Amino acid sequence: MSCKICSRPIKEKGYCSLHLKAYQNIYEKFGVWEKALEVSWMDYLVKISKNSLTGEWAKEVVEHLIEDESRNVKEK
Amino acid sequence: MIISEKPDAANRIAAALDDNGKTMRETDNGVPFFAAKNGDKEIIVASALGHLYTVAGVNKGEWDYPVFGYQWLPRWMVEKSASKIRIWLKVLSKLAESAEDFVDACDYDVEGSIIGYSILKYACRGREKLAKRMKYSTLTREELRDSFSNLLPHLDFELVESGLARHEVDWLYGINLSRALTLAVRNSSGMYATLSTGRVQGPTLKYLEIREKNIRVFVPTPFWSITAKISIDDHMFDLEYEKKTIETKAEAGGIIAACKGKDGKVVKIDVKEFHQNPPVPFDLGTLQSEAYKFFKHTPIQTSKIAQHLYVNTLISYPRTSSQKLPPVIGYNAILKKLSQSMLYQKVAQKLLAQATLKPNEGSKFDPAHPAIYPTGNLPEKVLDTSEKNIYDLIVRRFFAVFGEPAIKQSIKVSVDINQYLFFMTGYRTLKECWMEYYKPYVYSKDISLPLLFEGQRVAIEKVLLRNSFTKPPVRYNPRSLLKKMEREEIGTKATRAMTIQTLYARKYLEGEQNMTITDLGFEVAEVLRNYCPSVVSSEMTRRLEEKMEQIQLKHETKQNVLVDAVETLKKVTLTLKHNQSEIGAQLGQKIKQAHHDKQTIGNCPKCQTGKLITIRSKKTSKRFVGCTNFFEGTCITSFPLPQTGSIKPLAAPCKACSYPVIKVLINQKQPWNLCLNANCPSKVQKK
Repeated sequence: MSCKICSRPIKEKGYCSLHLKAYQNIYEKFGVWEKALEVSWMDYLVKISKNSLTGEWAKEVVEHLIEDESRNVKEK
Repeated sequence: MIISEKPDAANRIAAALDDNGKTMRETDNGVPFFAAKNGDKEIIVASALGHLYTVAGVNKGEWDYPVFGYQWLPRWMVEKSASKIRIWLKVLSKLAESAEDFVDACDYDVEGSIIGYSILKYACRGREKLAKRMKYSTLTREELRDSFSNLLPHLDFELVESGLARHEVDWLYGINLSRALTLAVRNSSGMYATLSTGRVQGPTLKYLEIREKNIRVFVPTPFWSITAKISIDDHMFDLEYEKKTIETKAEAGGIIAACKGKDGKVVKIDVKEFHQNPPVPFDLGTLQSEAYKFFKHTPIQTSKIAQHLYVNTLISYPRTSSQKLPPVIGYNAILKKLSQSMLYQKVAQKLLAQATLKPNEGSKFDPAHPAIYPTGNLPEKVLDTSEKNIYDLIVRRFFAVFGEPAIKQSIKVSVDINQYLFFMTGYRTLKECWMEYYKPYVYSKDISLPLLFEGQRVAIEKVLLRNSFTKPPVRYNPRSLLKKMEREEIGTKATRAMTIQTLYARKYLEGEQNMTITDLGFEVAEVLRNYCPSVVSSEMTRRLEEKMEQIQLKHETKQNVLVDAVETLKKVTLTLKHNQSEIGAQLGQKIKQAHHDKQTIGNCPKCQTGKLITIRSKKTSKRFVGCTNFFEGTCITSFPLPQTGSIKPLAAPCKACSYPVIKVLINQKQPWNLCLNANCPSKVQKK
């Protein structure tokens, strides 16, 4: 089984070790954004996906998470 | 017979030792050597050409690993490109036959000592035990003659032993790890690619990998800062809110609302005076660092330029890690000589007028050489811009270290705006002292403040809120990577710059100012970290370096160090062999991708869907650019290419026609940019 984003082997949560670190960072930093701007999870994802300072791998995970969230909303 | 490291140095030594200051240049089969007469002594000064001997495997034919059998061989027997050395060694052997006494005058450091030792041992048939040693730090006539009159009774065998250990350990690491990576790829995918790593290369690559990872997984977070603008005597000044970063928008908004439309009151003015010490003398690392800062020279460029200045007797030996300038170098004499130059006259005379000359030395010490300093000799020939820059930097640094500490003043004004505290900070240089001598490589960053007094009320013009984001770590540049290697104590002053260069040569690294690890470099670093973490561990490399230094102090033996290295490598190579197919697959994929990326020039401007790639015609063997959709039968776009030199696609398309642009690099020629479009308006204009 390979990572949801690249062809590397899965480490955890469907991500390889590199994208997993990005995923963990995204989750960790949400607390800071939530406190600073009172944003929702989805707003947060959109904001960091558009931010030029967001790292390449973090952006790939964010885009994947946004797709997942949008799919979940549609299904509901 | 005196043996020096390079022909230029041999010429200098012969001229210095000859009583009339003249040398007789002779050649044998194109190999130069120099004759001199010193008292009743007839002297021949011959030279090496850098390292003439190298470590090589015992079984040349076998291409496998682990390999632990090695020997020292003439370089021509190991490297095809070193064929010239065969004749060179023959001539040295012939000259040695008629010599009675032998003197090693190679640079007094690890590499120089090995060069001299191996020539005396192998080419001069075991004369290493009889030879005497010349020790000097500049190639000036006075110092060379003094050194020749006070020869050291024998070679520095501890330094040689430590150097041999370093070369042998590095060879063992390099050959085994590089073969493991290369064979893993060849055996799993049939591809051949030169992959390498080594004892210092591995940890260096790891630093780059860690930095790159931190950049790529980075998620910025917001923060706010507040500034207030005050107007005094028609000049605007900025006040900064006491908290540099405010974590929530709500808190920042509250402060803005409370301060808007309010006046401020100066509650405190703090004035402090402080001293700023002069810089310390240059060791090679700090010289490379400053040269990058001011001229953007890479560490290896700076090394080469400094070596050239040294051979031309303008500066002392540059491959030093010392930050000390002992009085024996003769401060006064150097300054007097420098004062002959219009450029340095004023500062040199000012320093000569000082009651005492005491340099502000740093903590680093090198038993072999002092810090880098100018000899005082002025250039005989016109220096090129790079040489002129480095020479000037070294001279002015030398001046600066003798200066008095600069006296500076900081002023901090605290302003209360509706119970919120803001600051305004200014700096003034009261006495420049050493800074005056180091110009233009230092400047005063003075920030003037208006005249204020405690209790004064000030009108607030604006209160501004600024939203920013935390930034990812910056990529290494040649200066910061070199500093990191120095801090971690891996490699030596002479080899660090070369290690960085090898990373570029192996295509693990790209970008000069912003060093970016390539996907291939990333993969190699990951393989090493996963399968042999000890190889990329700074700790292990540092320990080995320490042990090699201990050899110099006779606290450790070369044999012990080598046994340790072999034991480590036995375990590492076993793991690498066991995981060969996984490693090969992981690296093979990236090599393929790197090869593909190298071929790709850009998007096809005609069909818009294909990629333009470089192709070599089977019929004519000529290269050209073609669209990948040609193979699908849907696009026949093609462009001719220059048939010589290498080609590098540029990221930005042509400004005139939006077609891809390539950079053409041909040896010895100025690179040029070429738009692929033959009918590009920019070309039509030129016609």
